[in-house]
Amino acid sequence: MAQKPNYNEWVEMATKQMKGKSPDSLTWKSPEGIDVKCLYTAADLEGMDTVGSLPGMAPYTRGPMATMYAGRPWTIRQYAGFSTAAASNAFYRRNLAAGQKGLSVAFDLATHRGYDSDNPRVSGDIGKAGVAIDSIEDMKILFDGIPLDKMSVSMTMNGAVLPILGMWIAAAEESGVGKEKLNGTIQNDILKEYLTRNTYIYPPAPSMRIVSDIMAYASKNMPRYNTISISGYHIMEAGADSVLQTAFTLADGIEYVRAAIESGMDVDTFAPRLSFFFGIGMNFFMDIAMLRAARFLWHRSMQQFKPTNIKSSMLRTHCQTSGWSLTEQDPYNNIIRTTLEAMSATLGGTQSLHTNSYDEAVCLPTDFSARIARNTQIIIQEETHTCKVADPLGGSYYIEYLTNQIVEKAQEILDEIEEIGGMSKAIESGMPKMRIEESAARRQARIDQGSDVIVGVNKHRLEDEKLDFEILEVPDSVRLEQIERLKEIKSTRNEAETQACLAAITKAAEGEGNLLEVAVAAAKARATVGEISDAMEKVFGRYVATTQCVSGAYSSEYSEANPESANVIEGFRKRTENFLAKTGRRPRILVTKMGQDGHDRGIKVVASSFADLGFDVDISPMFQTPDEAAKMAIENDVHIVGASSLAAGHKSLVPELIEKLKAQGAGEIGVVAGGVIPPSDYDYLYDKGCKAIFGPGTPITTSASKVLDLLEAQYIK
Amino acid sequence: MYKDPSYFIQGVLDNNRLTLARTITLVESTLMTHQDIAKNVISELLPHTGKAVRLGITGVPGAGKSTFIESFGTMLTGLGYRVAVLAIDPSSTRSGGSILGDKTRMEKLAVNEMAFIRPSPSSGSLGGVARKTRETMLLCEAAGFDVIIVETVGVGQSETTVASMVDFFMVLQISGAGDELQGIKKGVLEVADAIVVNKADGDNVTRAKLAKKQYETALHLVAPSSPNWSPPVMTCSALEQVGLKEAWEIIKQHKKIMSASGELDEKRKEQAMSWMLFLVKEGLENWFYNNEEIKKVLPTISAEVESGQKAPTRAADELVSILGSDLLF
Repeated sequence: MAQKPNYNEWVEMATKQMKGKSPDSLTWKSPEGIDVKCLYTAADLEGMDTVGSLPGMAPYTRGPMATMYAGRPWTIRQYAGFSTAAASNAFYRRNLAAGQKGLSVAFDLATHRGYDSDNPRVSGDIGKAGVAIDSIEDMKILFDGIPLDKMSVSMTMNGAVLPILGMWIAAAEESGVGKEKLNGTIQNDILKEYLTRNTYIYPPAPSMRIVSDIMAYASKNMPRYNTISISGYHIMEAGADSVLQTAFTLADGIEYVRAAIESGMDVDTFAPRLSFFFGIGMNFFMDIAMLRAARFLWHRSMQQFKPTNIKSSMLRTHCQTSGWSLTEQDPYNNIIRTTLEAMSATLGGTQSLHTNSYDEAVCLPTDFSARIARNTQIIIQEETHTCKVADPLGGSYYIEYLTNQIVEKAQEILDEIEEIGGMSKAIESGMPKMRIEESAARRQARIDQGSDVIVGVNKHRLEDEKLDFEILEVPDSVRLEQIERLKEIKSTRNEAETQACLAAITKAAEGEGNLLEVAVAAAKARATVGEISDAMEKVFGRYVATTQCVSGAYSSEYSEANPESANVIEGFRKRTENFLAKTGRRPRILVTKMGQDGHDRGIKVVASSFADLGFDVDISPMFQTPDEAAKMAIENDVHIVGASSLAAGHKSLVPELIEKLKAQGAGEIGVVAGGVIPPSDYDYLYDKGCKAIFGPGTPITTSASKVLDLLEAQYIK
Repeated sequence: MYKDPSYFIQGVLDNNRLTLARTITLVESTLMTHQDIAKNVISELLPHTGKAVRLGITGVPGAGKSTFIESFGTMLTGLGYRVAVLAIDPSSTRSGGSILGDKTRMEKLAVNEMAFIRPSPSSGSLGGVARKTRETMLLCEAAGFDVIIVETVGVGQSETTVASMVDFFMVLQISGAGDELQGIKKGVLEVADAIVVNKADGDNVTRAKLAKKQYETALHLVAPSSPNWSPPVMTCSALEQVGLKEAWEIIKQHKKIMSASGELDEKRKEQAMSWMLFLVKEGLENWFYNNEEIKKVLPTISAEVESGQKAPTRAADELVSILGSDLLF
């Protein structure tokens, strides 16, 4: 037998190959703050309590099922929805015929925020980022011809969760499927909305009551239904690293468990129906380890509630590949990114998966791009043989080490949150949001200076970029169609019955009674999403977000890394200083989000970094109309407005803002746009007077430089 | 930038939102050419000022100033008053830039047609007060706003600076987790016309009441600034809109009493004087730093002081004597 290899000899050899430098010099500090060495051995795993378990058994580090994919592969569940219910229904049926197994419904932003399609606040959002649903009639069309007793349906809905879930249950019952047969998941994760996505309606306390009411209703009536999908995905997309994603997601979960127990439920009646939703990015091994660590931590955290059902502390999760990692530049690269992320998710042991389409950094997926995305998963399942073994990377020194590191670092944050008094209190204190935003600003700085590489963006960028694929666009006629249908439903329903049901909701909101129960009744009485939401808003009020913004994180990450970068920052500061000297004040920019899209990572990163470069940066409240944004630009007398759009509303909202400014005599205030805007729309926006457009992945240094060019040309003669 | 003072004057008097905003930019400008026009504009508008309630609000970060102003301002517009809010945000000492996020916390008021909110960067002036807040306040008065609220972060000397330009100075506090008074300075107690303990809601009500008692006790240890007014302490919840009407009643009461006793007039006269002296000081500083000779020798003399070659006192003498030996005393 060969002699056991000696680690010291390896160090010697490595040092020699490194021409005298220690192999320790290769250690990489991950964004999570984990030191990653260039080699791991059995010695690294000594004494770790996260190592050595079996799949299907506590603490489930290696997966919740005993045989994992060898027994049954993960569910291919593609998230989709756009335009009208009829258009989405046709899309679903085509996908199911082509091998998709479960449905996942995306709703438009008007629906998310509890507005009917005829509300003037949402004129730019109808059918854009998802399907427009106003009433049970729309819901019935959406699932027409789809057997709800057999098909598992996942719905991404948090704010308007009661009207939507109520309409779904009612639609199923009217088509002859009892609620006890319904199978699927509702996202219903309101806490993370306050953290990142901002599609809430009511303040935290009544929102938590809604969550508890849904859990109570389902535990009594819908035994096969997952009442919540505790989502880290949006936390990651907002810029969190894998440790932050794990910690904040689990902390949200613990908070829901507490709320349910406080409302009088026994932990084993609802905990087995809790599911999770993680986002998987390009840090390949890290995110495999993250899923393993999350399962371990959830099991450990749940023990404080003394569950007797083993399923109560078993973490089951859906995963989605990162939308943020997709690039507008050289977009076919996104297929490769999505494939790698899908590998990461499945090697980590996810229960279901959505793979993004390569065109999603630019527009809605088409039938073609959706097929590639779906086939990515089918190919992994059918062609790679990676499903033959449960937790194939279990026992890998590196994976086990990372798993343990994430457990330890996330536990520290979980302890910190417990000290504050739980996640609701922590959110109130602003701690999680600040951490996420700091992480986002640092990531942006690393990308802008090239230390985080994105091929096609900051390396091997194409000289001449031509977009050659088909773009799916939702026509504005969708809004008019919805308005017609609303008129029709309101004129044909039994008005007295509808009003009585709405009054019952208001009454339930004031005091006792299960809100989902009355919402189902109202849905049957043809009350609309907006009406049901308003009936509760009367009691709960509408939540007003507070925006905080970190400062200094961008420039410190930038200059920490190398002195050359520090010069870049200094160069910008000189330019803004010069602008001040010449014109009497600093360049002043208003960053705003119009429409109902609540993804504010982009504008915060922009705000924080522009301030670091010497701009005065005004931030508008969320969900502005063009009118409101114009008022603010005028009142604050800014030089320029930066409008961020990620939800396809740019073609109506940006030109409207320009018009409003002109109409009030403030045409000299320029408008630039950023976000998910298809290049084919650029000319249209330029024609309407937009001064510059910054697509996804534009380095801050590029956008800041362009903005300064514009302002210098306009104000320094 | 427009050169004709009458453009600004007429626009402000017409309460044109756009022109008012531009006039504020004009007075905040660091260019001498702009300042010359601004002085004209202010002089012309001065006769049209003086009718508004001038309200200063301070509080530690986290006291809920923005939420309070959002709720309080919305209530006032509901009563038919036009409200202007001047918020001051700190500029970064390193980049010079700033993040002006006040309106994100005043979502309703920001879109209210009866309200005008203007955040300004502190731009390096001491104590978190913008250099030109006084002038901006007068512009808003001339534009016909009934209540002007100046919001400031409770750091440095901003409280006394703001107190020296308003009629009523409100200190917003929150109850602490324990029984200590939350970071209130004696200097602040001396200039406060009322202390409002915010966030008296939910499970915090008892603590807020306790804090109220403690501030009342603390106020007893400070000599009141007026023989006719003892600063009251009250609790409120800006979030639940409780106690806002009461706060407004106190402010109106204060105005009535101070007007009747003649103290309000007196106060405004004093404030005009301190404004003048502030401008004199600022003018002298500008004169000093813009002097060609000073610009030339300042770096050398500074280096000598830094290296210990020259005493600071002697260096200062040398510098000032450049402007004229008769300035020395």
